Amino acid sequence: MYGFHGRLLHIDLSTGRSSWVDLDEARLRAFLGGIGLGTSLLYEFAPPAVDPFSAANPLIFTSAPLVGTGLTTTAKYAVVTKSPLTGFIADSLSSSHFALELKRLGVDALIITGQAAAMAYIFICDDKVEIRSAERLRGRSPGDTEAAIRTELTAPAARVAAIGKAGENLVRFATISNEGRHAGRGGVGAVMGSKNLKAIALWGNRTTTVADPTGVDGIAEALRERSLSSLTDKYRKIGTVANLAVFDRLGVLPTRNFQQSTFDQAEALSGETLTENNFSRRHGCAACTIQCERLFKTLNGEEQRLEYETLFALGPLCGIENPDAVLRAAQLCDHYGMDTISAGGTVAWAMECSERGLLPQTQKLRFGQADDLLAIIPAIAERRGLGALLAEGSRRAAIEVGNASEYWAMHVKGLELPGYEPRSLKTMALGLAVSPRGACHNRSGAYEADFSGDVDRLQADPGRGAIVAASEDYAAVLDSLIVCKFLRKCFSDFYGEGAALLSKVTGWDCSGAELKRIGERIHNLKKLFNLREGWRAADDWLPERLLSETLPTGVAQGVGLSANELRQMIGGYYRARGWDDNGFIPDEKLNELRISL
Amino acid sequence: MDDHRTIADATAVVLTGGKSSRMGRPKALLPFDGEPLIVHIVRHLKRVFAETVVVAAPEQELPLLPVALVRDQVAYQGPVSGIYRGLKAATKEVCFVTSCDAPFLDLALISHLLSEISDCDVVVPLWQERFQPLHAVYRRSVAPLLHEQLERGELRPIFLYDKVRTRKVHEDEIRTLDPEGMSFLNMNSPADYDSALQLWRKKHSLSVSVELFGVARMLAKTPLVSLDLAQGATLAQVFSSLADKFPVLVGRVINSEGLISGYTCNINGLNFVRAPDAKVNSGDKIFILSADAGG
Repeated sequence: MYGFHGRLLHIDLSTGRSSWVDLDEARLRAFLGGIGLGTSLLYEFAPPAVDPFSAANPLIFTSAPLVGTGLTTTAKYAVVTKSPLTGFIADSLSSSHFALELKRLGVDALIITGQAAAMAYIFICDDKVEIRSAERLRGRSPGDTEAAIRTELTAPAARVAAIGKAGENLVRFATISNEGRHAGRGGVGAVMGSKNLKAIALWGNRTTTVADPTGVDGIAEALRERSLSSLTDKYRKIGTVANLAVFDRLGVLPTRNFQQSTFDQAEALSGETLTENNFSRRHGCAACTIQCERLFKTLNGEEQRLEYETLFALGPLCGIENPDAVLRAAQLCDHYGMDTISAGGTVAWAMECSERGLLPQTQKLRFGQADDLLAIIPAIAERRGLGALLAEGSRRAAIEVGNASEYWAMHVKGLELPGYEPRSLKTMALGLAVSPRGACHNRSGAYEADFSGDVDRLQADPGRGAIVAASEDYAAVLDSLIVCKFLRKCFSDFYGEGAALLSKVTGWDCSGAELKRIGERIHNLKKLFNLREGWRAADDWLPERLLSETLPTGVAQGVGLSANELRQMIGGYYRARGWDDNGFIPDEKLNELRISL
Repeated sequence: MDDHRTIADATAVVLTGGKSSRMGRPKALLPFDGEPLIVHIVRHLKRVFAETVVVAAPEQELPLLPVALVRDQVAYQGPVSGIYRGLKAATKEVCFVTSCDAPFLDLALISHLLSEISDCDVVVPLWQERFQPLHAVYRRSVAPLLHEQLERGELRPIFLYDKVRTRKVHEDEIRTLDPEGMSFLNMNSPADYDSALQLWRKKHSLSVSVELFGVARMLAKTPLVSLDLAQGATLAQVFSSLADKFPVLVGRVINSEGLISGYTCNINGLNFVRAPDAKVNSGDKIFILSADAGG
């Protein structure tokens, strides 16, 4: 088999047993790798209605056909499990050397079930699997854990993915981290923590063969060149932090828990200002030409990575204008291993509730108060005081607090919203409402239509359904090949070029139409998983605040989104998907997609 | 000079033969709106008139003009001589006479003056209690009377008005078409010229502000740029003017066709537009940003 290894490794931490299971080519061709394969395995391995923190919930790591081919931006892996935050699918991506090492291990997927008796880490070297004690690593940051394990193994080539204290303490939005990158959303780190699994260390020596090495090299070279063109200027020259200033001017920057969509102090936090005042160095994942990561200096001279989503969530969303405070808050989230978007979203909810007198005043939380933010993050990771409540995420915390505080909990399906204001980005509003993993800006790029001029971003219409569905399918293919989304503009005909590339890697005769259909199949399977786990129509919805309040400031002042407009768009989406009016998938659709359960 | 699409069956006569002594250089050749003043005036008059006659001094230097050019036999004899020469050279029955130092001609007002000639010999505006003989309409038939005036040494055109059927167009009537009487603003000194240029720019330009984001801001080292552009300007003129101000953006953000791949433009924070032929309006805020909103 080309491009794949054709097998998976299943480790049961309860028994300590490992087994290799063959993966047949038809399944790989139907779902590719990455999130597609991960979703397919989740459907098979997760018992219906499994508790996300139970031993039976599988934690699945997958590789993909393009990983290890030398193609720029493809050093990525997926983590798929049932989310403790949403109760639905959690599908996260991370990247860099750990991804390459997973591929060199000679498996397409690694499935971990069970629960270790004490804190442990797994070391896999080719076909040898060891479960080792990690008790001495308890409480340490993912970065420290990586370094310690690599030293212990005296294997500098080994690569490690680890959780921090947040994962150990089952903070529902804990991450899995490797080399400063994170499988960030949906609480995959908490699932890992529930298994008493501190880290996974990999050291592989297998090579993957591709069907047409010369052909792959040719495409790789062309894409490498395009990846260095003006199409990726933003990522190469400033990084994603460039979004903040322009999002403010466009009235799409969520601020103070979505009270408004502009931030008066946006210039102080803008990517341009940070680059001028705090820039330290540029960095990137393994085998990537774009190198989008930016490290900035804190006041005490330390370096901290910062992305737009982190900047927005720990900055304007919490009303924080001090760049150093945001950098330090990001540093804390990385140290404890927690998703910055959900952390910021949950803290912003708590700030609003606190200011409205709905929370006990034992720990102060006020918008714009950096000290409050910096104090609550460790409390969340350690589940201390108010932190224990916030460790549950905004949805559960709001249910616990009651007093109608759910009105201010800005989540979809339990996953906190990213930094794109739905009221002034109507296509994105629909994308967020219907996404299987909750409020997500990565499993579709619905905002792209709003930023293109092809649609009126301030007006809702049912035609957005087809746009969102197409964007989800497209993202599903990118996430399963895997190609980084920051390369997407470099394709002129993504499905055609992607199919040609996949054919040269695998030896299959794959067409653009087949690839497109694979995207649709993957997305439908995600939905099927959610249906099995109890999805109801009410889960495809937006927080009440967004449907009740109009935007008070900026170019989108006075713009709102009514429940009826959202309902119409969702109806259009279900029709575009070929689902029934209530969002369920008819058997004919499953047959058409050749999904057999 | 508003656009005016009716072509009158009349002749425009432009007198250019003055001394330009206070100006210190020939008025007809003063640069105005990117061209010599006489070219500017003739170009605008040709929008309304079927024929244009330029009356110049004997040796006066002029650019090549699409007009019938006549020259005074003797230099600097004054406006009566010029009007007479112009009427004699015209082939149309009705002539609008102007000078080459009044750049703010209002074609709507001129059309109105032409329309009032029906049973008169002269139509002359009375602006601020003064006749405006060099912004007036004359029948060609008055030429012999002007010749007689010249022979008698009556060098002011207004002596004609008592002798023929003259329609005086009063100020309130003028103001309905040219509220500020810009049509009668002429330039005699360098100071007049400077203020006329400024007025022209103010009247005929639009201001936009360009907000630069991301790479464009880092390259230009400024977040905000004000641009003055000609009326009717499009995004193409915005990009080109921006390129003139910040050559560092050329090839990196802007090229000859507009914005390079990877960049886009938004007008007033609302509409994303890349087409260079998109019109801009005064006061517009134009954002130049990355075309990729991923984060």
